[in-house]
Amino acid sequence: MAFLSIPNVTIRGISACIPSNVEENTDIGFYTPGEAQKVIASTGVERKHIVDDKTTGSDLSLKAAEKLLNELDWERETIDIILYVTQMPDYQKYPTAFVIHDKLGLPESCMVLDLYHGCPGWVVGLSTISSLISHGSIKRGLLLTSDVSSRTNHRLDREKRPLFGDCGTATALEFAPGGVSPLLFETGARGKDGVALAKPYGGMRNPYTPETFNKEYAMLHGAAEMTDGGSEMDGMSVFSFGITVPPKSIKKLCEKYDIDLNSVDKLVLHQANKFMLNKIAKKLKFNSAKVPMSLKDYGNTTSSSIPLTIVTQCREDYTTKKQRTVGCSFGTGLSWGTVYFETENIVCPEILIY
Amino acid sequence: MDIKEFIQNFADQFDETDASVFNADTEFKALDEWSSLMALNIIAMVDEEYDVAIKGDDIRNNKTIEDLFNDVKAKKGE
Repeated sequence: MAFLSIPNVTIRGISACIPSNVEENTDIGFYTPGEAQKVIASTGVERKHIVDDKTTGSDLSLKAAEKLLNELDWERETIDIILYVTQMPDYQKYPTAFVIHDKLGLPESCMVLDLYHGCPGWVVGLSTISSLISHGSIKRGLLLTSDVSSRTNHRLDREKRPLFGDCGTATALEFAPGGVSPLLFETGARGKDGVALAKPYGGMRNPYTPETFNKEYAMLHGAAEMTDGGSEMDGMSVFSFGITVPPKSIKKLCEKYDIDLNSVDKLVLHQANKFMLNKIAKKLKFNSAKVPMSLKDYGNTTSSSIPLTIVTQCREDYTTKKQRTVGCSFGTGLSWGTVYFETENIVCPEILIY
Repeated sequence: MDIKEFIQNFADQFDETDASVFNADTEFKALDEWSSLMALNIIAMVDEEYDVAIKGDDIRNNKTIEDLFNDVKAKKGE
């Protein structure tokens, strides 16, 4: 069972950066009159911040990381590990964490890792980096996340276009022997359903042919209609997964580690859609006032959605108080991750605009 | 599982379609009010009322309400 209790490490800060450009869902051209309003009413997503065609995910994460290091007053030389979570790397070859390592000016002694993951990536990445830090010789680390879904999703994809926004985040962690509550995790996967969130062409299994490449390129730019049901995502299967698995995972974590869920300060869920989040909270009989939502203005920002929600919806609570948080994310894989963590007066700069 | 109750639960998800329209033979995807969002309501209803997680293919491959009912029943192990 993938339960983890990781002692002696704590979160010191969280930051997030979004592109300045906004796409309103009411402006999407393929909707018939009134259709956009229905989609908004159901998903809760009104608009998303999206990058231009030159900005990468690492650009957003880098800005978030620089601000966070400055506010924490952490010298670059003291960073012992960076872990970057993305499904949209800067290059086909050469993990993007090395690009970030270079641009941030980090020391050669720093451990550098990419984690290829989507929506559950912040939680899974947190379990990975905190495990490494908990040994005690790596003292400080940065967990970075970003995807620029607007650049990889097909323009006429009716399911994905209204939902996904772009964002990059940085989370600072530090070795803190004694006195801090361990980070607690439950993670799992259902690989047999992974095709529900997949891009099948362009990798080694199905390398592009001139035909598949041209089709992909045309769909990317909205010059060709979508085939196979109109979306790359099997939204119905993802929805079904999202309303059934997360509540069970959260319950399992609470039972295993004797956490009274109703006593936690925040339940921060992956911002998939409002309908789904309400169902999850209802199943857990959890007070929905303690389930912050950022999806209205930012959409689903994949692995960035939990830290983005903390930064945009509850900054004050995290910077001035002790907070006990349960976070749960789900999607890509299909897989999930639930985490319990405690923080006290962390550094959390206001949302940054790229 | 009772087919009548299933049809009632199915019909309850719709706002504009008259309840009398729904019966075991109804081809639900042909209804005017059917949409991808309605599909999510049906998935949520099946989860809530029957504790069964159906997938996209279960919606795509079943034609009538009774087809879906039989599928849910089989998944429930009844």
